[in-house]
Amino acid sequence: MLTFNDVTVQFGGLTAVDNLSFEVPEGSIYSIIGPNGAGKTTVFNCISRFYTPAKGSIKFCGDEITKYKPHQIINIGIARSFQNVELFSKMTVLENLLTGLHPKLRKNIFAISLNLPTVKRSEEDSRKKAFEVMELLKITHLADEQVSNLSFGFQKMVDIGRAIMADPKLILLDEPVAGMNPIETEKISQLILNLKNEMNYTVLLIEHDMSLVMKVSDAVTVMNFGKKISEGTPKDIQNDPVVIEAYLGEVNLHAEVK
Amino acid sequence: MILMLKQLGNKRIALGILIVCMLFYPFSVGYSSYFLTLFVITCIYVITSLSLNLLVGYGGQISVGQAGFLSVGSYSVAILSTKLGLPFLVVLPLAGIITALIGLLIGLPAVRLKGHFLAVATLGFGLSVPQIALKWDKLTGGFSGLSVTPSSLFASETQLFYFFVFLTVLIIWLINNIVKSSIGRAFIAIRDSEVAAQAIGINLSFYKTTMFVISSFFTGIAGGIYGYWVGFVSPNDFVITNSFLILAMIVVGGLASIPGSIIGALLFSIIPHFTDSYVGITNIVIGVAVVLIILFKPKGMVSMFNFKRNKSEKTKKNELLLKEEGNRGVNI
Amino acid sequence: MQILMSGLIFGCIYGLTALGLVLIYKTTDIVNFAQGEMAMVTTFVSFVFLSNFGFGYIPSLLLALIFAAIFGIAIHQIVMKRVQSAPPLNQIVVTLGLFMILNGMAGLIWGHKPTSYPQAVKGDSIKLGSVFITPNELFILCITFFLMLIFFLLFRFTRVGLAMRASAQDIKASQLMGIKVTSVFTATWAVGAILGGVAGIMTAPITFLDTQMMFEVLIMAFAAAVIGGFVSLPGAVIGGLFIGVFENLIAFYISPEMKLVYTFLLIILVLYIRPQGIFGGKQTLKKV
Ligand SMILES: Nc1ncnc2c1ncn2[C@@H]1O[C@H](COP(=O)(O)OP(=O)(O)OP(=O)(O)O)[C@@H](O)[C@H]1O
Ligand SMILES: [Mg+2]
Repeated sequence: MLTFNDVTVQFGGLTAVDNLSFEVPEGSIYSIIGPNGAGKTTVFNCISRFYTPAKGSIKFCGDEITKYKPHQIINIGIARSFQNVELFSKMTVLENLLTGLHPKLRKNIFAISLNLPTVKRSEEDSRKKAFEVMELLKITHLADEQVSNLSFGFQKMVDIGRAIMADPKLILLDEPVAGMNPIETEKISQLILNLKNEMNYTVLLIEHDMSLVMKVSDAVTVMNFGKKISEGTPKDIQNDPVVIEAYLGEVNLHAEVK
Repeated sequence: MILMLKQLGNKRIALGILIVCMLFYPFSVGYSSYFLTLFVITCIYVITSLSLNLLVGYGGQISVGQAGFLSVGSYSVAILSTKLGLPFLVVLPLAGIITALIGLLIGLPAVRLKGHFLAVATLGFGLSVPQIALKWDKLTGGFSGLSVTPSSLFASETQLFYFFVFLTVLIIWLINNIVKSSIGRAFIAIRDSEVAAQAIGINLSFYKTTMFVISSFFTGIAGGIYGYWVGFVSPNDFVITNSFLILAMIVVGGLASIPGSIIGALLFSIIPHFTDSYVGITNIVIGVAVVLIILFKPKGMVSMFNFKRNKSEKTKKNELLLKEEGNRGVNI
Repeated sequence: MQILMSGLIFGCIYGLTALGLVLIYKTTDIVNFAQGEMAMVTTFVSFVFLSNFGFGYIPSLLLALIFAAIFGIAIHQIVMKRVQSAPPLNQIVVTLGLFMILNGMAGLIWGHKPTSYPQAVKGDSIKLGSVFITPNELFILCITFFLMLIFFLLFRFTRVGLAMRASAQDIKASQLMGIKVTSVFTATWAVGAILGGVAGIMTAPITFLDTQMMFEVLIMAFAAAVIGGFVSLPGAVIGGLFIGVFENLIAFYISPEMKLVYTFLLIILVLYIRPQGIFGGKQTLKKV
């Protein structure tokens, strides 16, 4: 469904993604893991079109997406959440979710400024939809809360919820459970499975929480220094010496710093 | 829920009282032309500060030249009514549309600019308009200005007054609808996070330009009201200090708040009435008000009022609740 | 040639004002819309020394600059310090508020009638090659280059300069390194006010001494700063000289009243092609 072909991204002299190729099959949960700074978020930013690869192609359902602008990506069916939540901080939870419907809403300025019945009706429908999503995330009680007052965990949920609102085909989740407690983490892992099984989304997941990755993923790619160092089922990955070394290397590094 | 209903009720009542007051205003000032003018000027600033708030408060785009749009609006009215002899009901909307086109021209390059660059560019615009009006004397009458042919629709000044008050209320309602809609949410989204806004499908340049167009349209109408009410326009009507004043209105009243814009506009239209004897004093009073508000009430005067305070208390309570919940989670 | 020359003279004034603007912006991240009005007040103060106390030109100039430094410090300590971490809009509006206060106060104290201001050096114009130049203009040129030289030396080779550059780079890191950021900012405002003051005192003899004398200079200085990218000190000066020449050419070949309009168009054009200004660095992408 999503295909990376020899994609390279550079920032000045730094190669953040190096000749990366992988393919996400439709209807699967595909994870990207790797140590800090491996280039995982950069992969997402290429799909979102915030960065343009120096080289390589990115295809979604056979369609080259590097030709699109960032705001057009949602229209071809790709939504995302952000590692450090990018919410609209002065809005309430409900309003944040409503923004997720932006591409679907009619935006006739005349109808809107006169607040015509059609506008009221579509607003009503969107609220209904937003409440469904909040139900799914079990955050209905926070609907009218300003998001900047929420804990990081709840903010992440709202961020994910906003991506779900648009009913995408592919959803990109960047470290969805970072900053969450074990109960919330469990909730999110159920949600991710739900997205695949009941809502038929394809999920591309970046996550450092290995137990979550192992539990939900159909396939995993491991990155280090921008390169793919391993790929396979969660089982394969767990036993791949290269992967263990990459992570051990990181542990050693941390130890040295301390 | 009950609280909300109560608030809604309060708001309705407040609105009702306000409208009744406006209806009786001409009687209460004995149809004094001076006080009617003061009121109409206030209306003009209410519309302008609302339009600017749409751009600055909701959309996060700084504009330091809003008075330029007022000038364009008032000159459009003068030129269309006097030089072309068009009727009132055509001229006033057309003033809005012409100003919106200028807004589009400014908005197109401005969407690429951020923060202080945008401030400087719009400042340049605000400064240029009076200069152009001075220079282009064939069209604008240059230094001596241009008179506006009064409309034959209104038999008296009072009728025109009521029409403009009605128009102001109508525009408040329209702008309120816009900021509460999906378009308004897109504006706020751009202000709070351009990255996320793009990710949910908001075309930044389109919406930023739209903000400029909507904002300048309504400001153009306000300029038109000025032209028709005063009956005469000149290059010195709306200079750069007026732009500062309008910006001060929304910051002092409250950014991204409709009542805030109205309060700010009221305040700064009425202050000159009391300090009129000396221009310098007006500037000092306004300047001091601006500095004090920013230092001590950065959310604007609207944050001092009751209905907002209730809400923030509620949020504080919830915040505590959330923190507790978070702690419990960690303990488990 | 003559046009170029007088353009350069104005350019010096714009450059000095822009230098103050850019210095304050670069170090403290605040765009000071009150820069022109601060300069205007300093100029009036120098005039008080000159005419009311009957001091000579140089003592008056120096006293006025000392005043400017204190004035800049006061403005930072009383007002600007408190909005250091506020959103940019609030900062801009505060400086606009100061603009209005200073303008109003100056009007109250010194009236609104333009007064003529003595030139630094009197005398007939001298012929230099094909251009005429008055000693006063020569003085402006000299003092501008002298000041810039001092300024760059200060910025490059002294501890204060180093601290300013460090704070401009990274406030948090500078704090960690033991730099007292607030004092550095105060010093920046003092230096910024001095630069503005010199520009004001240079402007007064050319225009007139009145409360509005710095309006246009400020705008042109903004244009200069924008062209220079708002973060480059040499860029500000070069931008100033460029704007000065550009404006004079417009005034000569098109019309003096339209110079503001064309300068505005020029900035828009420059920003449209390069939104970060000519001397501004590469635009950085926000990491998400
Ligand atoms: N906009 C940018 N400009 C310069 N360098 C960047 C930019 N974005 C990312 N990088 C660099 O690219 C490399 C990869 O970053 P990326 O954010 O993709 O890592 P990551 O795998 O998501 O790490 P983490 O697990 O910490 O989120 C890092 O060295 C980072 O500093
Ligand atoms: Mg990352």
